[in-house]
Amino acid sequence: MKIKSLSAISGITIVAIFISATMSLQQPATAAETTATAQNDPMQFARGAKAWADTCARCHNMRDARSLRDDQWRAAMAHMRIRAGLTAKETEDILAFLQGSN
Amino acid sequence: MNTTQRLTFVTLSWLMLATATTPALAQASSSRIADLEAKMNAMAAELAVLKEELAAAKASGDSANLQAMQADINAAKQIAERATQSANEWKDVTSVTHLSGYASADYVSPENGNAAFIANFNPMFHFLLNDKLLWEAELEIEVEENGETAIGLEYTTVDIFLNDSMTLMAGKFLSPVGNFRQNIHPSWINKLPSAPPGFGHDGAAPISEVGLQLRGVAPVGDNSRFTYAAYIGNGPKLEGEDGEIHAIEAEGFAGDPDDEKVFGGRVAFLPIPQLELAVSGAFGNAAVVENDGVDFEGDPTRDYKVLGFDASYRWNDLDLRGEYIKQEVDPQEMSVAPEGGKWETWYAQGAYKLGQGKWEGVVRFTDFNSPHPDDSQEQWAFGVNYLITPSAMVKIGYEANDGLAGEITDDDRWIAQIAYGY
Repeated sequence: MKIKSLSAISGITIVAIFISATMSLQQPATAAETTATAQNDPMQFARGAKAWADTCARCHNMRDARSLRDDQWRAAMAHMRIRAGLTAKETEDILAFLQGSN
Repeated sequence: MNTTQRLTFVTLSWLMLATATTPALAQASSSRIADLEAKMNAMAAELAVLKEELAAAKASGDSANLQAMQADINAAKQIAERATQSANEWKDVTSVTHLSGYASADYVSPENGNAAFIANFNPMFHFLLNDKLLWEAELEIEVEENGETAIGLEYTTVDIFLNDSMTLMAGKFLSPVGNFRQNIHPSWINKLPSAPPGFGHDGAAPISEVGLQLRGVAPVGDNSRFTYAAYIGNGPKLEGEDGEIHAIEAEGFAGDPDDEKVFGGRVAFLPIPQLELAVSGAFGNAAVVENDGVDFEGDPTRDYKVLGFDASYRWNDLDLRGEYIKQEVDPQEMSVAPEGGKWETWYAQGAYKLGQGKWEGVVRFTDFNSPHPDDSQEQWAFGVNYLITPSAMVKIGYEANDGLAGEITDDDRWIAQIAYGY
């Protein structure tokens, strides 16, 4: 298959995914919701600690939880979710651990 | 101090606290916030005392004074509620802005030539909306030899979290081919003061790309997982010089002069969290669009291929990693630069932490081969790092370089660096 045809097919597929993804942005999420989840799941802190230890040191030194504020960790973890290949659930677990240790 | 004065004091204190906890001052440190919380607790105690005094006044039957005190207490309560709302405001926002990044200051002393100071500053911006969309960007700012400041856009992407495990990115992104360029190159992460030869500009590893990328993770059992990235982008530019391909510029361009897109990606398997094994690559077409320093049109396209392998392993304080990457273009008889070329490099690195993680020793070997002998280089690099904090360190490195005699690639050099990731 020629590269141009492949480009067109890939482009259409990705645009379709992009549109459906944009529609999913309507559901708000806040730090308060994360906190509420943590309160309902007492094991989240422990899971977050393990995921933090397993994941972060793969590339860099483990940063102190106190090096950022709770809200800053929220944005930083969104960045690391992509970089480190984390699921949303693992990201929330690590965030709960960092905010709980802060 | 009488009751009215104390009420005034409490009211003013609540006002000051409410002001101090507004979002405008939300940049205060954790200790500042803890201090504010302590003050809030102290004032809450003061309010409780006032309530007791009010109850006592009620019992004594002083109705005029009672009404005044009740009004003061109601006002103080309202101020307290507003202060509490302000203090917790950040928890309820739907968007977060975060300024991050890293910076370094270096002193480079080559075997031949002049020693010099160097400075780099890479601010990163994160804008998170609803935990569903992240816009991130990084600038690369450095002082050049002529004193001018060079500013580059390292990446800027809108990242949409499609579901629990998949993210769609659009914009300019770091190439997911290999691992060093996308994850290891920041100065506070790289354990040596310099990048391995071939992993910099015009080397063997693609730097960045402009297009669309889909990234994700597929957990396998409790401890294993696959991670993946696939992208489509504008692809590289070929730079011709004196009738041959001088370099493959794979640094992310907003235009696509050859009108041929490039596809690529990376798949990594982590059988255990400490071990990562990955294969990556890209393919497409590319054409010479700059020849002898001048923009050039009409050169026929040729095949472009990239192949990479990378691995890393951690065991307690030992960190091992290595990477191989090859970037090549085929010959094209009708081109102004008819010959093809292959840029190939690999490195292996070991690092070990000592002194409760405060000190770190590093050794790295790199072998970079370019079609141009004056660019090819073998390098042994040794380093000792002192970690002020996990993200701030002082590095001393020595490079034993073996290149073409008389070229800078053959010069050994010392590098001292202070790096900070913030």
